[in-house]
Amino acid sequence: MAALPYEYYVDIVTKRYFHGVDHYDMEMVLDCFHDDAVLTEVTSMTVHKGRNAGIRTMFEGLFDAHSRIWHGNFVHTADIEAEAICSQFSVEVTPKGADQALRYENCNRFYLRDGKFTRVFVYMSGENLLK
Amino acid sequence: MQYQSALNREQLTELAIHSYFGNVDKKNLDQVLDCFHDNAMITVQTAFTTHAGKEEIRRMFIDFMGAYKTIIHKDFTCTVDESNGRITACFTAELEDDDGNWTTLQNTNFWRIRGDRFQEVYIYMSGENPLV
Repeated sequence: MAALPYEYYVDIVTKRYFHGVDHYDMEMVLDCFHDDAVLTEVTSMTVHKGRNAGIRTMFEGLFDAHSRIWHGNFVHTADIEAEAICSQFSVEVTPKGADQALRYENCNRFYLRDGKFTRVFVYMSGENLLK
Repeated sequence: MQYQSALNREQLTELAIHSYFGNVDKKNLDQVLDCFHDNAMITVQTAFTTHAGKEEIRRMFIDFMGAYKTIIHKDFTCTVDESNGRITACFTAELEDDDGNWTTLQNTNFWRIRGDRFQEVYIYMSGENPLV
Protein backbone atom coordinates (compact mmCIF):
# COMPACT_ATOMS: atom_id res chain seq x y z
CA MET A 1 0.00 0.00 0.00
CA ALA A 2 1.38 3.40 -0.98
CA ALA A 3 2.09 5.85 1.82
CA LEU A 4 -1.04 7.73 2.80
CA PRO A 5 -0.89 11.54 2.63
CA TYR A 6 -0.64 13.75 5.70
CA GLU A 7 -4.26 14.85 5.45
CA TYR A 8 -5.47 11.24 5.55
CA TYR A 9 -4.31 10.98 9.17
CA VAL A 10 -5.97 14.24 10.21
CA ASP A 11 -9.17 13.36 8.36
CA ILE A 12 -9.61 9.85 9.80
CA VAL A 13 -9.25 11.28 13.30
CA THR A 14 -11.46 14.36 12.92
CA LYS A 15 -13.85 13.78 9.99
CA ARG A 16 -14.48 10.07 10.52
CA TYR A 17 -13.63 8.89 14.05
CA PHE A 18 -14.55 11.85 16.27
CA HIS A 19 -17.29 13.00 13.88
CA GLY A 20 -18.80 9.53 14.24
CA VAL A 21 -18.45 9.61 18.02
CA ASP A 22 -20.04 13.06 18.31
CA HIS A 23 -22.96 11.97 16.11
CA TYR A 24 -23.47 8.57 17.77
CA ASP A 25 -22.70 6.86 14.46
CA MET A 26 -21.41 3.48 15.65
CA GLU A 27 -20.67 2.08 12.18
CA MET A 28 -18.69 5.17 11.15
CA VAL A 29 -16.66 4.89 14.36
CA LEU A 30 -16.00 1.14 14.11
CA ASP A 31 -15.07 1.42 10.41
CA CYS A 32 -11.93 3.29 11.51
CA PHE A 33 -10.62 0.19 13.35
CA HIS A 34 -9.14 -3.13 12.25
CA ASP A 35 -10.93 -6.25 13.50
CA ASP A 36 -8.13 -6.98 15.98
CA ALA A 37 -7.65 -3.41 17.17
CA VAL A 38 -7.01 -2.61 20.82
CA LEU A 39 -7.99 0.62 22.58
CA THR A 40 -6.29 1.34 25.91
CA GLU A 41 -7.30 4.08 28.34
CA VAL A 42 -3.86 4.65 29.88
CA THR A 43 -4.76 6.81 32.87
CA SER A 44 -6.82 3.93 34.29
CA MET A 45 -5.18 1.07 32.31
CA THR A 46 -8.52 -0.05 30.91
CA VAL A 47 -8.08 -2.23 27.81
CA HIS A 48 -10.78 -2.83 25.15
CA LYS A 49 -9.92 -5.56 22.64
CA GLY A 50 -11.51 -6.19 19.24
CA ARG A 51 -13.51 -3.85 16.98
CA ASN A 52 -16.72 -5.87 17.29
CA ALA A 53 -16.18 -6.94 20.87
CA GLY A 54 -14.57 -4.73 23.51
CA ILE A 55 -14.43 -1.54 21.45
CA ARG A 56 -18.07 -1.77 20.33
CA THR A 57 -19.17 -2.49 23.89
CA MET A 58 -17.20 0.50 25.17
CA PHE A 59 -18.86 2.86 22.70
CA GLU A 60 -22.31 1.43 23.44
CA GLY A 61 -21.70 2.37 27.06
CA LEU A 62 -20.43 5.86 26.17
CA PHE A 63 -23.35 6.60 23.85
CA ASP A 64 -25.91 5.23 26.29
CA ALA A 65 -24.61 7.32 29.20
CA HIS A 66 -24.45 10.76 27.54
CA SER A 67 -26.95 13.05 25.82
CA ARG A 68 -24.22 15.16 24.19
CA ILE A 69 -20.63 14.40 23.15
CA TRP A 70 -18.31 16.96 21.53
CA HIS A 71 -14.61 16.80 20.59
CA GLY A 72 -12.74 19.87 19.30
CA ASN A 73 -9.76 22.23 19.60
CA PHE A 74 -7.52 19.65 17.96
CA VAL A 75 -3.73 19.92 17.63
CA HIS A 76 -2.15 17.01 15.78
CA THR A 77 1.29 15.47 15.51
CA ALA A 78 0.95 13.43 12.31
CA ASP A 79 3.74 11.13 11.10
CA ILE A 80 3.35 9.54 7.66
CA GLU A 81 6.57 7.54 8.05
CA ALA A 82 5.47 5.97 11.33
CA GLU A 83 1.78 5.62 10.24
CA ALA A 84 0.76 7.38 13.42
CA ILE A 85 -1.02 10.48 14.61
CA CYS A 86 -1.16 11.86 18.14
CA SER A 87 -3.91 14.37 18.86
CA GLN A 88 -4.61 16.78 21.72
CA PHE A 89 -8.19 18.00 22.05
CA SER A 90 -10.98 19.18 24.32
CA VAL A 91 -14.00 17.03 25.15
CA GLU A 92 -17.39 18.07 26.46
CA VAL A 93 -19.91 15.44 27.49
CA THR A 94 -23.28 15.82 29.17
CA PRO A 95 -24.38 12.80 31.21
CA LYS A 96 -28.02 11.86 30.66
CA GLY A 97 -30.17 13.61 33.23
CA ALA A 98 -27.53 16.25 33.97
CA ASP A 99 -27.81 19.96 33.19
CA GLN A 100 -24.15 20.75 32.78
CA ALA A 101 -21.43 19.39 30.52
CA LEU A 102 -18.20 17.91 31.85
CA ARG A 103 -15.01 19.25 30.24
CA TYR A 104 -11.83 17.25 29.64
CA GLU A 105 -8.48 18.03 28.00
CA ASN A 106 -7.38 14.70 26.53
CA CYS A 107 -4.95 13.20 24.07
CA ASN A 108 -5.08 10.10 21.90
CA ARG A 109 -2.26 8.25 20.18
CA PHE A 110 -3.45 6.44 17.04
CA TYR A 111 -1.26 3.84 15.30
CA LEU A 112 -2.47 2.75 11.87
CA ARG A 113 -1.92 -0.15 9.48
CA ASP A 114 -3.22 0.10 5.91
CA GLY A 115 -5.23 3.17 6.77
CA LYS A 116 -7.11 1.92 9.84
CA PHE A 117 -6.46 2.04 13.57
CA THR A 118 -4.65 -0.96 15.00
CA ARG A 119 -3.75 0.50 18.42
CA VAL A 120 -5.28 3.53 20.15
CA PHE A 121 -4.12 4.93 23.50
CA VAL A 122 -6.26 7.45 25.38
CA TYR A 123 -5.18 9.78 28.21
CA MET A 124 -7.96 11.56 30.09
CA SER A 125 -7.64 14.61 32.31
CA GLY A 126 -10.39 13.40 34.64
CA GLU A 127 -12.34 10.30 35.52
CA ASN A 128 -12.29 7.61 32.84
CA LEU A 129 -15.41 7.78 30.64
CA LEU A 130 -14.38 4.84 28.48
CA LYS A 131 -15.24 1.99 30.80
CA MET B 1 -0.41 28.31 18.29
CA GLN B 2 1.54 27.38 15.15
CA TYR B 3 5.29 28.03 15.38
CA GLN B 4 8.04 28.06 12.76
CA SER B 5 10.84 25.52 13.16
CA ALA B 6 13.55 24.43 10.74
CA LEU B 7 14.48 21.27 12.65
CA ASN B 8 14.25 18.07 10.66
CA ARG B 9 13.03 14.69 11.88
CA GLU B 10 16.37 13.64 13.35
CA GLN B 11 16.96 17.02 15.02
CA LEU B 12 13.50 17.04 16.61
CA THR B 13 14.11 13.56 18.00
CA GLU B 14 17.60 14.54 19.20
CA LEU B 15 16.21 17.59 21.04
CA ALA B 16 13.34 15.76 22.76
CA ILE B 17 14.96 12.44 23.61
CA HIS B 18 18.67 13.12 23.99
CA SER B 19 19.13 16.82 24.82
CA TYR B 20 16.03 16.92 27.04
CA PHE B 21 15.34 13.51 28.60
CA GLY B 22 19.00 12.45 28.49
CA ASN B 23 19.88 15.43 30.67
CA VAL B 24 16.81 15.11 32.92
CA ASP B 25 17.97 11.60 33.79
CA LYS B 26 21.52 12.88 34.49
CA LYS B 27 20.11 15.80 36.51
CA ASN B 28 21.95 18.27 34.30
CA LEU B 29 19.64 21.20 35.08
CA ASP B 30 21.31 23.83 32.88
CA GLN B 31 21.35 21.55 29.82
CA VAL B 32 17.68 20.71 30.41
CA LEU B 33 16.76 24.40 30.61
CA ASP B 34 18.75 25.11 27.42
CA CYS B 35 16.03 23.16 25.58
CA PHE B 36 13.41 25.81 26.49
CA HIS B 37 12.71 29.36 25.36
CA ASP B 38 12.63 31.93 28.17
CA ASN B 39 8.84 32.23 27.85
CA ALA B 40 8.21 28.51 27.37
CA MET B 41 5.39 26.72 29.14
CA ILE B 42 5.03 23.18 30.52
CA THR B 43 1.55 21.88 31.23
CA VAL B 44 0.84 18.58 32.96
CA GLN B 45 -2.53 18.24 31.29
CA THR B 46 -3.75 15.27 33.31
CA ALA B 47 -3.27 17.34 36.50
CA PHE B 48 -4.09 20.82 35.08
CA THR B 49 -0.73 22.10 36.34
CA THR B 50 1.12 24.76 34.31
CA HIS B 51 4.64 26.15 34.75
CA ALA B 52 5.08 29.35 32.72
CA GLY B 53 8.50 30.85 32.01
CA LYS B 54 11.98 29.48 32.47
CA GLU B 55 12.21 30.45 36.14
CA GLU B 56 9.10 28.46 37.04
CA ILE B 57 10.34 25.56 34.94
CA ARG B 58 13.73 25.76 36.71
CA ARG B 59 12.03 25.64 40.11
CA MET B 60 9.92 22.65 39.04
CA PHE B 61 12.99 20.70 37.88
CA ILE B 62 14.99 21.57 41.01
CA ASP B 63 12.19 20.11 43.14
CA PHE B 64 11.73 17.10 40.83
CA MET B 65 15.44 16.26 40.69
CA GLY B 66 15.68 16.68 44.47
CA ALA B 67 12.72 14.41 45.15
CA TYR B 68 14.10 11.37 43.35
CA LYS B 69 17.43 9.60 43.76
CA THR B 70 17.09 7.90 40.38
CA ILE B 71 15.24 9.19 37.31
CA ILE B 72 14.94 6.97 34.24
CA HIS B 73 13.02 7.67 31.03
CA LYS B 74 13.12 4.83 28.49
CA ASP B 75 11.32 2.81 25.80
CA PHE B 76 10.44 5.82 23.67
CA THR B 77 8.06 5.62 20.73
CA CYS B 78 8.24 8.89 18.78
CA THR B 79 5.73 10.45 16.41
CA VAL B 80 7.33 13.29 14.45
CA ASP B 81 5.51 16.04 12.52
CA GLU B 82 8.47 17.74 10.88
CA SER B 83 6.45 20.17 8.77
CA ASN B 84 4.78 21.60 11.88
CA GLY B 85 7.68 21.49 14.36
CA ARG B 86 5.97 19.00 16.64
CA ILE B 87 7.08 15.74 18.22
CA THR B 88 5.25 13.37 20.54
CA ALA B 89 6.76 10.50 22.53
CA CYS B 90 5.31 7.84 24.75
CA PHE B 91 7.70 6.33 27.26
CA THR B 92 8.17 4.65 30.60
CA ALA B 93 9.32 6.81 33.53
CA GLU B 94 10.88 5.06 36.52
CA LEU B 95 11.48 7.17 39.64
CA GLU B 96 13.22 6.07 42.83
CA ASP B 97 12.86 8.18 45.97
CA ASP B 98 15.38 8.40 48.85
CA ASP B 99 13.66 5.52 50.66
CA GLY B 100 14.12 3.20 47.70
CA ASN B 101 10.47 3.28 46.63
CA TRP B 102 9.94 3.09 42.88
CA THR B 103 7.19 4.80 40.89
CA THR B 104 6.55 3.69 37.30
CA LEU B 105 4.53 5.82 34.88
CA GLN B 106 3.47 5.36 31.26
CA ASN B 107 3.43 8.91 29.95
CA THR B 108 3.08 10.82 26.71
CA ASN B 109 4.73 14.18 25.99
CA PHE B 110 3.81 16.63 23.22
CA TRP B 111 6.46 19.20 22.31
CA ARG B 112 5.84 22.26 20.10
CA ILE B 113 9.11 23.72 18.86
CA ARG B 114 9.72 27.36 17.89
CA GLY B 115 13.05 27.78 16.10
CA ASP B 116 15.26 25.19 17.75
CA ARG B 117 13.80 25.04 21.28
CA PHE B 118 10.63 24.10 23.14
CA GLN B 119 7.89 26.73 23.22
CA GLU B 120 5.14 24.52 24.66
CA VAL B 121 5.31 21.11 26.33
CA TYR B 122 2.25 19.08 27.30
CA ILE B 123 2.53 15.99 29.52
CA TYR B 124 -0.12 13.32 29.97
CA MET B 125 0.58 10.97 32.87
CA SER B 126 -0.74 7.56 33.76
CA GLY B 127 -0.51 8.30 37.49
CA GLU B 128 -0.03 11.00 40.11
CA ASN B 129 1.84 14.10 38.93
CA PRO B 130 5.42 14.34 40.32
CA LEU B 131 6.08 17.65 38.48
CA VAL B 132 4.53 19.98 41.06
